[in-house]
Amino acid sequence: MSIPELLVKDGFITATDRKKIDTYSSESGLSFIKIALSFGYISRKNYERSLNQAGIDFAEIREMEYDQAVLDKTDLAFANEHLALPLRIENGKVVTVMANPDDELFKDFIRFTYDLEPHVIVASDLDIIWLSNKLIGDKYLKSSVFELLKRDPDSSAVVTFSSAQLVFIFVLIGLVAVGLVLSFKNTSIILNVIISSFFLVAIIFKLFLALVGSRFELHQAVTKEELKLVFDEELPIYTILLPVYKEDKLIKKLIWNLQAIDYPRHKLDVKLLIEEDDDKTLNAVRNLDFPAIFEVIVVPFHMPKTKPKACNYGLHFARGKYLTIYDAEDIPDTDQLKKVVSLFGKLPSEYICVQSALNYFNRNENFLTRMFTLEYSYWFDYMLPGLDTLDIPIPLGGTSNHFKLQELVDLGAWDPFNVTEDADLGVRAYAKGHKIAIINSTTYEEANNEPFNWIRQRSRWIKGYMQTYLVHMRDPAKLIKKIGWKGFLGFNFFIGATPVIFLVYPLLLTFFICYIVFDLSSIRTLFPDWVLFMSIFNLMVGNILMIYVNMMAVFKRRYYELILFAIANPIYWLMHSISAYKGLYQLITNPFYWEKTNHGLSKVNNPTNVVK
Amino acid sequence: MRISRSLYLLFLTVILIIYYLVAAVYLNNLGYYNHESLFYIEKTRIVFDGVGQRLKVMGLTSPMIPFMATFFFTSISYTLAPALASAIGTGMLFYVIAGTLIKRRDDDFFMYLLLAIFLFHPGILYTAASGKSTYLVLIFFFLFFLNLLKFYRSNTTFHVSIASICLVTLIFCDYKFVWLTLFFLPLVLTITIHSLNLGEQESIFRLFLSFNSPSLRRKLVNKTFALYIILFALPLVAVLCYKLLNLTHASDLNYFSESPYATWNVLIDKLSFDQQTTNSNYQIPEISLLLSARVLMFCPMILIAIYLFRESTYQILTLLTPFAFIEFLHLKYDKVYLAYQYYMIFIVLAFLCVMFKSQTVKNQKSFRVLLALSVVAQLYSGWYFLKTSPIAEDRNFLSVLTKRTEDHTQADNADVAEYLNSLPDDAHILMDDATAYGVVAFVESEKIKSLTMPYQDNFLSGVESPDKAADYIVIATAKNLVTGYTQLNNRYLTSIKRTLPQLIFKKVYETENWIVYRVVK
Repeated sequence: MSIPELLVKDGFITATDRKKIDTYSSESGLSFIKIALSFGYISRKNYERSLNQAGIDFAEIREMEYDQAVLDKTDLAFANEHLALPLRIENGKVVTVMANPDDELFKDFIRFTYDLEPHVIVASDLDIIWLSNKLIGDKYLKSSVFELLKRDPDSSAVVTFSSAQLVFIFVLIGLVAVGLVLSFKNTSIILNVIISSFFLVAIIFKLFLALVGSRFELHQAVTKEELKLVFDEELPIYTILLPVYKEDKLIKKLIWNLQAIDYPRHKLDVKLLIEEDDDKTLNAVRNLDFPAIFEVIVVPFHMPKTKPKACNYGLHFARGKYLTIYDAEDIPDTDQLKKVVSLFGKLPSEYICVQSALNYFNRNENFLTRMFTLEYSYWFDYMLPGLDTLDIPIPLGGTSNHFKLQELVDLGAWDPFNVTEDADLGVRAYAKGHKIAIINSTTYEEANNEPFNWIRQRSRWIKGYMQTYLVHMRDPAKLIKKIGWKGFLGFNFFIGATPVIFLVYPLLLTFFICYIVFDLSSIRTLFPDWVLFMSIFNLMVGNILMIYVNMMAVFKRRYYELILFAIANPIYWLMHSISAYKGLYQLITNPFYWEKTNHGLSKVNNPTNVVK
Repeated sequence: MRISRSLYLLFLTVILIIYYLVAAVYLNNLGYYNHESLFYIEKTRIVFDGVGQRLKVMGLTSPMIPFMATFFFTSISYTLAPALASAIGTGMLFYVIAGTLIKRRDDDFFMYLLLAIFLFHPGILYTAASGKSTYLVLIFFFLFFLNLLKFYRSNTTFHVSIASICLVTLIFCDYKFVWLTLFFLPLVLTITIHSLNLGEQESIFRLFLSFNSPSLRRKLVNKTFALYIILFALPLVAVLCYKLLNLTHASDLNYFSESPYATWNVLIDKLSFDQQTTNSNYQIPEISLLLSARVLMFCPMILIAIYLFRESTYQILTLLTPFAFIEFLHLKYDKVYLAYQYYMIFIVLAFLCVMFKSQTVKNQKSFRVLLALSVVAQLYSGWYFLKTSPIAEDRNFLSVLTKRTEDHTQADNADVAEYLNSLPDDAHILMDDATAYGVVAFVESEKIKSLTMPYQDNFLSGVESPDKAADYIVIATAKNLVTGYTQLNNRYLTSIKRTLPQLIFKKVYETENWIVYRVVK
């Protein structure tokens, strides 16, 4: 009895399901078992149960001997599609681990390639995936790490500071030092005025962006009527990459969220990217009581161990026309993918990416989540549309950015050495003449509710912004030529200024406290009144305007109850400053280190009503 | 088409600006000044040429924005700067209104109406040629209401935020507009009720429904509060910061609005009060309610505007807010006549409303006739109100404008200034610019350094011992209307002679309002 017959007999799949799987298998080239286990037909537990009842046990294969020469003849993509891998030749047979022992196509491949009969060892598909990616994924792995560096070294963050940048920084430090020695007072005054003025100008720019963005807050990039014109049969294959690391607690949630997506199941190409050393997540997938609707890809170990590297690796196996990334805890609006397809259909060809808004489902959990929600609301609902309107490079958000897959590959995909690869990719896309659009669809995430975890996450983001800024400012003249003066200034004041604001904020605050609260006389002797007045004015007005921007944020989403929390923005910014200094330190000492954010800390259940 | 209309508009604006500039320079050459423009001239001279705490003068002079707007023109001429600013500013007001008009109506009739107002309305000419801050008040008042009306239509945060920013600017153009916020408190509630998604249309029933459902009530309260904050947070915080600035630099929270050194209208309001309380020829003052009637006479177009908005309670309330505002001003600042600019705001408001709703009128022909008649009536009432204004300088403007003869109102101040200009460069002249700003305004730039005034640290010691710090003292005569509001008057001379009997003050120059004494040591 064949495996499909066995599964039907055991009642784990229906005859109709089997027919569907067979049809889809012949259309897509994927094996029967791959589809059955990855498209929500049967759980892994039931599959194992069925085989066990038929007297077939899964073998432990991770430590098995292998012969590299044998492995080299198998392509990883083919092995992944069939969930099978030839390991070595023993006793005149090719020892082959297979999830489905009667996959004749793969057996024929063995016979044809090695001119020998296969000796089949049945194993868990996850172990086979783990092993095959580890043993024969090297080519893809190297490509995912070094492809951008090889193809476009100027865009890679592998070098943090270019020589010219180092010279510039040291000359600047030298000039300041000389200035301080020659005239401590005047140099201090100049520094104070420049820093505080920059602070205010950067915040006024943020307010300006927020105002420009707020003008279009009711604009529907894709209307309900347009959505009705999207027909399931005409939809392309859509790849969803789900990079995870030690997210075992979130796997069940992830499946619920994915199941809610309104997109034909067979046209979804969902890839869960699990790191080689992440047995926790792998076992969580293994132990699921219900069918999974994603394909697992194990990313072999290679430094840097970053999310963009995992995504680049997953990209090699993507089959879709469009591609997006979600985090494990994300709850996208159910019609998001269809909206994106509709929008891409409307937009000119230079648009290669669509960014959805991000927001939080646990906003009322504590102070931090409230502040985070305010921040994300003004960022995604006002500032990014503002940048979009002004045609200034948009730093993409961490998830829910939807790409045209081919254009993404042509662009060099994500930079594995950049810890905010999304922001970098957004700017790179603009620099290469592409455009990014914003869509009226939201993905709800889990707001970080724990201060230290928050600081870790934020330090990575700020470090990434610094990396991105340094990468794209290696040749400012070239950047101006590519994105124009407006884009250049926008890039400087949005991407460049963000870390700088957080770095200078505590300095200005210290001046303010020393001057106003402690009435420190030495400050008065160092700075004349007009300088103190100016820096306090800049600090106060800057803070007030930023509070105002936060207040504006509540309107679009009607989070009116959060409006008073905006007043706490100066305190929230102190946490940003701590993160900024941590990020700066890491930029110098450990630029590629990925500060892992722990997810699943929220005690708030995902509200079902947010999925419309 | 749009580009050509925009260019056409730009061209019209430039022509208007030239027209206003000619009027402003012509009146200036006839010697026309008013208290406000003189005050700006004097403070600008201190900021650019003075010696002492100039930053404090710059930061605390109120109203701040009109004062600073004159800075752009000081390089041309100090005495002309306010008039140039107001001429160009009024041109910009036209551009703002006409720009809004061409975006909404592709119809030249309304442009002709607007042009008629901007060419012939005496109030607009007053705004343009006087050097007063009215042009800025009108610009930001118009923008504030424009954005409110846009918010009613679009319901986007953008317009309410811009309205809030305009309100901040408006307050810094005329602090009294801070009271406008008071009348928006009930209005915001009605706006929120309107914005709730309810089947009922009638406002009172919507309110009833909202209060009786816990979830709707919560939503209503939250949204109303959020709207209050987004609309008023910036103005209130800005005022608070400004008050703190005053507290730290002048030890008085309300220095900017209550000190004659910081703003011009403290003294003028006091004079107005004195005149009203002591005048034997009792004039009928502005009476509450009648004030609103006066506004309707001044600007009959506002009646058309109210009629156009009749279907929406909260929009009608929005239009009534300025009425409540001026009535409140009349109550709060009793014995002070309502300035002409508070009438002028209705002209721009009425035109704005007509622009917004004109397309809803079915009988356009009658509507246009009515509008044209109202504009003609406004032109007449504008003239009539200026002619019969209880404020002398309003009447004076019309008199100079119509008679085109030299204005001698400030001749006295100019004569004293001319005498001071003729004094040796090293002579120290003690004077109090709380009252004598009209004199200082005409003093040459180089001479400003010779003046010892209250913004300087050595003023007090100069007053206490003029023998050490001053060579000359400018004293207000008993006839001077403001003699009671300065320390440097006849009584000062008596008291200082008592303290320093050996000191001799020799009268060297005298006009009706001022006497210059030389301090003989």
